[in-house]
Amino acid sequence: MPRWCAYQVPLDTGMFTPLGLQPTALFRLAFNGAGDWLGRNAMSHRRLVKDHSTGLVIWSASFISGAPVSFFDADHLDVRITGRVCGGGTQFACEGEVLSSAKPAAYMHACCVPLRLDGDPALSGVPARLSAEVMATFLPEEIDARPQRSPVPGVRAAVVREGTLLARHQTHFTIHRHQCEVADQWFWPEAASLASGAREDLLRAAADGVPVLKGALGTQLRRLDLLFNRPFFLFDDGAVVSSAYEWEGRLVFIHELAGAGDGHVRAVAIEQFARDGLIWD
Amino acid sequence: MVRVNGALLRFTDYRRAITVAAPTVEAALGKLAEEFQPLRKVLFDREGNVRATHKIFLNGEQLERDELGRPTGDADSVDLLLAISGG
Repeated sequence: MPRWCAYQVPLDTGMFTPLGLQPTALFRLAFNGAGDWLGRNAMSHRRLVKDHSTGLVIWSASFISGAPVSFFDADHLDVRITGRVCGGGTQFACEGEVLSSAKPAAYMHACCVPLRLDGDPALSGVPARLSAEVMATFLPEEIDARPQRSPVPGVRAAVVREGTLLARHQTHFTIHRHQCEVADQWFWPEAASLASGAREDLLRAAADGVPVLKGALGTQLRRLDLLFNRPFFLFDDGAVVSSAYEWEGRLVFIHELAGAGDGHVRAVAIEQFARDGLIWD
Repeated sequence: MVRVNGALLRFTDYRRAITVAAPTVEAALGKLAEEFQPLRKVLFDREGNVRATHKIFLNGEQLERDELGRPTGDADSVDLLLAISGG
């Protein structure tokens, strides 16, 4: 059996919106939990970087909302996290379950790519397989030869092909240090924040003319998928190009996060909301 | 002119664009490291070679490691891009 770690997180109001859990807060929680799992079962993230010249960079992440929960339901969340190596050592994936008063509140999944660090103070690195020494700290059942796949390309293609475009909007941003991690590279949960901010800007600009869009202000996000191509860094300027679609009874927002200079898309976020209270599985 | 990106800014005293006079790209990077000593260990390995983790562009064209001897003039710009870091 793959190993899990379980713990309780005391709640604060900043982890919630009036509608439910904040995905960005949960992604931060998940990353922290994955570090805890690594430290308890394999080796700490700090040792991985410092002693084994191995970094982890995010490649994909998902948040799936469960039962409706609010800050007033419980004093803490129960979190369960597990990790595994995939793709023969080319990925480290973790999944997490969040429960509130024994109700499944959210499911999270994240997949990272290992980097071989070059040993310089900027922590620069290139993608590489985990070393045999690091692989040996995982149980055989925590090692999967198959690589993880991201749902983003398939969902995006289906939405663009089959959905109805409702509105499009562009939001500019600059990455500041409070949005970065130890190497002045953006801390990846910021992608969820930038996407949701861009969605709200789109809604403010277009919802009066397209009232159905307001559903995305009044209902909890059901699902968020992120796919990362390359990171943003301190003081990088960028733009989120957001497109709103109606698709299979859902409101779907496809956000492309692109650098201002080269215009290359560095990350894609897809948010899905149930329209008119419809639920899907 | 050498331009550096975000992860390197703390090694250049947060200067994004730095003017250096040098006959080649490689010499420009060396002068940059002379001016900003903390950058030396980031940019060059122990053998003095530019680390493979950096992408280097001359007027927008990405250079291979064996092209760093390309000549530069006053009107040229070199972009130094750290593609990814493992923090």
